[in-house]
Amino acid sequence: MMDEACENKAKCKEEKVKCCMRSRAKSRSNWMLLAPIYVFTILFVGLPILYMFLLSFLSRAKVWGVDFTFTLDNYKRILEPMYIDMLRESFQLAVLSTSIITLLGYPYGYFMARMNAVWKKRMMLLIMIPFWTSSLIRLYGWIIMFRSNGVLDKVLMGIGLTQKPLKLLYTYPAVVVGMVYALLPFMILSVYSSAEKMDWTLVEASRDLGASAFKAFWTVTFKLTLPGLLSGVVLTFIPSMGLFFIADILGGNKIVLVGSVIQEQLTKGRNLPFAAALSAVLMVLTSLMIRLYRKVTRTTELEGLV
Amino acid sequence: MKTRKWPFIYVGVITVITYIPIIMTVIYSFNVSKLTSVWEGFSLKWYEELFRDRDLKEALMNSLILAALSCSCAVLIGTTGALGMYRAKRQSVAGGRTAGTLGVKAGGGRLNDVIAYVAMLPIMIPEIILGMVFLSIFSLMGLPFGMVTLVIAHTTFCVPYVYSMVKARLVGLDKSLEEAALDLGASPVRVFFDITLPQIMPAILSGVMLAFAMSFDDVVISIFVTGPKVNTLPVKIYTKLKTGVTPEINALATVMLSITVTLILASSVVGKIRVRNVYK
Amino acid sequence: MKQKRNQKMKRITAFAMSLLLAVSLLGGCGKDSNKNNGNSGSKLSGELNLFTWDGMFPQEILDGFEAETGVRIRYSNFDYDEDMLAKLEEAEGGDYDLIIADDYIIEVAIQEGLVQKLDTSKLTNYGNLNPVFMSQFYDPNNEYTVPYGAGIPLLLYDPALTDVEITSYADLWNPALEDNIALTANYRVINGIALKIMGESYNTQNLDTIRKAGEKMIELAPNVRVINDSNTQDLLISGEVAAAFLYTSQVSAALNARPDLKVVYPKEGLGFGVMAAFIPSKAPNAEAAYAFLDYINQPEHAAACFEHLGYYCTNKAAEELISEEMQSLVVLPEEVTEGECIQNISQEAEDLHAKIWNQFKDACD
Repeated sequence: MMDEACENKAKCKEEKVKCCMRSRAKSRSNWMLLAPIYVFTILFVGLPILYMFLLSFLSRAKVWGVDFTFTLDNYKRILEPMYIDMLRESFQLAVLSTSIITLLGYPYGYFMARMNAVWKKRMMLLIMIPFWTSSLIRLYGWIIMFRSNGVLDKVLMGIGLTQKPLKLLYTYPAVVVGMVYALLPFMILSVYSSAEKMDWTLVEASRDLGASAFKAFWTVTFKLTLPGLLSGVVLTFIPSMGLFFIADILGGNKIVLVGSVIQEQLTKGRNLPFAAALSAVLMVLTSLMIRLYRKVTRTTELEGLV
Repeated sequence: MKTRKWPFIYVGVITVITYIPIIMTVIYSFNVSKLTSVWEGFSLKWYEELFRDRDLKEALMNSLILAALSCSCAVLIGTTGALGMYRAKRQSVAGGRTAGTLGVKAGGGRLNDVIAYVAMLPIMIPEIILGMVFLSIFSLMGLPFGMVTLVIAHTTFCVPYVYSMVKARLVGLDKSLEEAALDLGASPVRVFFDITLPQIMPAILSGVMLAFAMSFDDVVISIFVTGPKVNTLPVKIYTKLKTGVTPEINALATVMLSITVTLILASSVVGKIRVRNVYK
Repeated sequence: MKQKRNQKMKRITAFAMSLLLAVSLLGGCGKDSNKNNGNSGSKLSGELNLFTWDGMFPQEILDGFEAETGVRIRYSNFDYDEDMLAKLEEAEGGDYDLIIADDYIIEVAIQEGLVQKLDTSKLTNYGNLNPVFMSQFYDPNNEYTVPYGAGIPLLLYDPALTDVEITSYADLWNPALEDNIALTANYRVINGIALKIMGESYNTQNLDTIRKAGEKMIELAPNVRVINDSNTQDLLISGEVAAAFLYTSQVSAALNARPDLKVVYPKEGLGFGVMAAFIPSKAPNAEAAYAFLDYINQPEHAAACFEHLGYYCTNKAAEELISEEMQSLVVLPEEVTEGECIQNISQEAEDLHAKIWNQFKDACD
């Protein structure tokens, strides 16, 4: 585009020189901007994670810690049907939770962005307030609701909808509810943040040009809010693979998720290398998912999150 | 008019549902019984118990300090990082199109991508492995366990929130304002504070709000990197829940909630007065 | 427009400044109060870094000790014994002055050289301890530890919710209890139920036996409603489940709330566990640890502790001081003489236990 604009060769050259000079000055100040994230990330994220991969190829010491002898046993063990099954189940739960969160959270964030400034602020606060009480306590709040002869049972029996206590707690749906509840705000905030900065005149323009409401939404709004949706999916899908305590508390510990196995291996099992191998696999799997998602939604050029 | 109503109802219903467990927590903090399963009458005794509990207060203080410190670090690292990455990308695109200096720039770009990817990793892997790995790596580095290790560990997972929020905001930003200001001779620092920062401020704030909440609520990583002298509130709550839910914890949640709500109301009242003064 | 923006910036800066100020003030306050506490003491001073589960002592005892000695208690918690061991390994036996944990992990800690030998002459109340709980496998000569609480996991059921009369572990397999049982989450203890039914030891290292126990556990799955380590007794009290397999403190809590629940000492055999206190090898303030151990083993103090804790009282002299209603719960019944401790077993056996546990949980779903 720029080349087309520069019809005159001399002018074009001048433009190039200017551009280079500016970019050289910029890149110097840019290094100052980049320094903190480089140093911090390499030292406290990169190295520890490399250490995790290293650990996953070691064998565990007799009592505690690791023996520095190379082995592939940890990965072989993951291939046992039980662990494959566990990975699949974690994956299913994460997909289900993320889908529900997307369906609920996308319209929420979108509507929120269309509210006036006062309501936007109010809604933002309403979303943030629950965050400030411990998430563990909030899960217990659900237990008070769902338990046998609990609040919900009393209400339902009171209005005569049910005769005896429902067994709502410690079931798969209860876990899904817990997951959705814990992670929904991430989706809402991500969608909201991209919908909020959207240029709504573009939607109006497309409507003026004769697009249907749906078409206008699909071709303009949805496209423009996609980065937010993407980051929402990342921020909900990943934790939902690892949030084991929700399955423990609301699911009665009966669903075996990869997170709980890792935790168990670290604590009761005292097997650091196997836990590291499981995490490594989980990490690779989740990164692949994100890559796939980016490909499918063709958002590579939009610079999503990863 | 009709179409305007539904969004409000939708948002309202979901918001109300999210508040149900919180209301339950508050109600049951006034329960006489130690057990959460039965309602035996109204009492304030759990609040008395709470105010006597010195450890819990200390833990609360530690958590606030920890969250504030980690968020400050995360804002610094995340915001500068997002800006730097974004500019580098734009430059390499522009550079690639005009001059032929692709070689070096593209290399730098790839390195940036790797760093950005690694920086995001803490929220892509289960917390527990981070905790354990931090435990090993910190003792390898010889750092004493306590506030320092907690802040470092928490900063690692706070940075992604700030970084991703700011980055998402920058992508959709109107670049012409910045360029115009630069062309008009404003210094880069001035441009940053007068144009870029106000535009990305909402993103920083929502990143911080998330990061603060995550840090304030983190159990798993904290358990592994805390030292003998520092206890954080969630760790304290978690271990308390392990030995049985006491309404004391519900009382604590209620107190935290009231403080938050009071602060918010106060700030909005102050905000209104200020706004009015401005308009007068 | 610009003015407005500047104002906004100023406000944000002001907010940040005040936040910083508030934090530093609060931080300062904390430190000051520490100093004051530290100065008021007698010959003992400084801090006692106490590392154990939450809720092991009533607040009065902790306050009383601080008032008497001037030592400030720093109470930090772990979740699992293994977390404690990891921390202690990383600290190379330092950082903590007194740790209370489960029997089997103490055995490991002693083997690892992380525990110092006790000088029992410093404990004037040492004679109050109940010898029944001493000389256990982890410390056969009582060189390193002082017991603090013991337990026997027991079955408890609600006769109002089930017609099954439970007398043994095997009764849990009764199809009439479908979706009606709560279990604690320690896999060695729970898999141990199946081992006991088979007449085996908790600590068998025979992999085939453990595998068979696993198959037996899978058959229990349809009856299991919840597997949970924390406040499992709540489920029984509220009527969520008809029967539960609980730790001693949970049994005490459940019976306190619902005396109509029935306790079962399963006829196949009992488990037994002791919690004990030890001083790490490089404890910064071992003197304070001795003082605290002595303090909690004074009969009145010990009675208060065990009434609070709900585990079996390991202090003989305290038994008669415990209130009547608690006595039946926290004093070890005389007829109960043998319970088997869960001990450390080979890596393969331990791994197999973990594996069948996960298969069992998966089958429960």
